[in-house]
Amino acid sequence: MGAGTLIVLLAYNEEACITDVVAELRRELPGIDVAVVDDGSRDATAERAREGGAVVVRHPINLGVAAAEATGLLYALRNGYTRVVRMDGDGQHDPHGVPELLEALDGGAELVVGSRFAGVESFRSTWLRRLGSRLIAGLLSSLCRQRITDPTSGFRGFGPRAIRYFSSHFPHDYPEPESVLMASRQRFPIVEVPVKMRSRRAGVSSLTPWRSTFYMAKVSFALFMERFRAV
Amino acid sequence: MSRSSIIVLVFSAAFAVAVLLTARRRRTSEHHTFSWLLVSVLTAALALWRNAIDTLAAAMGIYYPPSALFFVVCGGLLWMLFRLSLQVAEQRRQLHRLAQELAVLSAQRPPPAERPPAPGTAG
Repeated sequence: MGAGTLIVLLAYNEEACITDVVAELRRELPGIDVAVVDDGSRDATAERAREGGAVVVRHPINLGVAAAEATGLLYALRNGYTRVVRMDGDGQHDPHGVPELLEALDGGAELVVGSRFAGVESFRSTWLRRLGSRLIAGLLSSLCRQRITDPTSGFRGFGPRAIRYFSSHFPHDYPEPESVLMASRQRFPIVEVPVKMRSRRAGVSSLTPWRSTFYMAKVSFALFMERFRAV
Repeated sequence: MSRSSIIVLVFSAAFAVAVLLTARRRRTSEHHTFSWLLVSVLTAALALWRNAIDTLAAAMGIYYPPSALFFVVCGGLLWMLFRLSLQVAEQRRQLHRLAQELAVLSAQRPPPAERPPAPGTAG
């Protein structure tokens, strides 16, 4: 299952939980390499990740989630990996969902989105975030001409063509919804698989109700802009 | 020559000198230096050729000549700002790429403290 596969964890100031998250992945998925992209953390995230047994790819400055994802894919490309699973460093993504993502990649998908709303009971986020997610899902589905139920999921798999493409082309601010549209415009096969989401192990989410609303408006604009750009 | 023309000419000359001094200290690129010197020359030209604004307004069909000046200046500044925002976006993209390459390289070759000792070396 693990040959040529890399799990990329994105982490920013996650020193409290990153060791446990990496250790759990190595325990549950033996034989799969784990790389942590530390997006310029101000705490000891990189050291804690190394203690857990991960390779650490560290940004010298904070570049944002989209660039961190692209860096993970660039590392995978340079080191000959052909399948990448991207997960969050806060432990929200359940490692038991990884085999299903890899199966979908083996089935020919280039982008696999782990969806919280495709059948498996998950940790429930706030109603405002669920509403926002629904609205963006509707917009994204119509732009992609394919049903997308969870556009903001960061639990996703990349095949070889997607690794190459997204290592050098990445959205500016909102990697999850925008990259689905970018993949669709590149005619990459996109598949959603149901996954279970847990509550974060430590820290608090940066998304307040006001920020969620603002995020929704900005993402919608970013999606229209992406549709407008040349392929 | 009127007093206002002299004031504008002095201002243009001072601005040109400031631009040239920054260029001499290599604090600005030649491309930007040329653009700002052009601004200085145009300001001086307007001070010397006082009917220029009236002629321009008549050519543009604008009744109140200072409006023509506002239009031209605003248009020029807007264009310069737009060019600068394009350059900022391009430099941001390059900076991201540079930081990513550095991150990948440092992961492939960790700092000396984290490297295992080479064979045959003490420690």
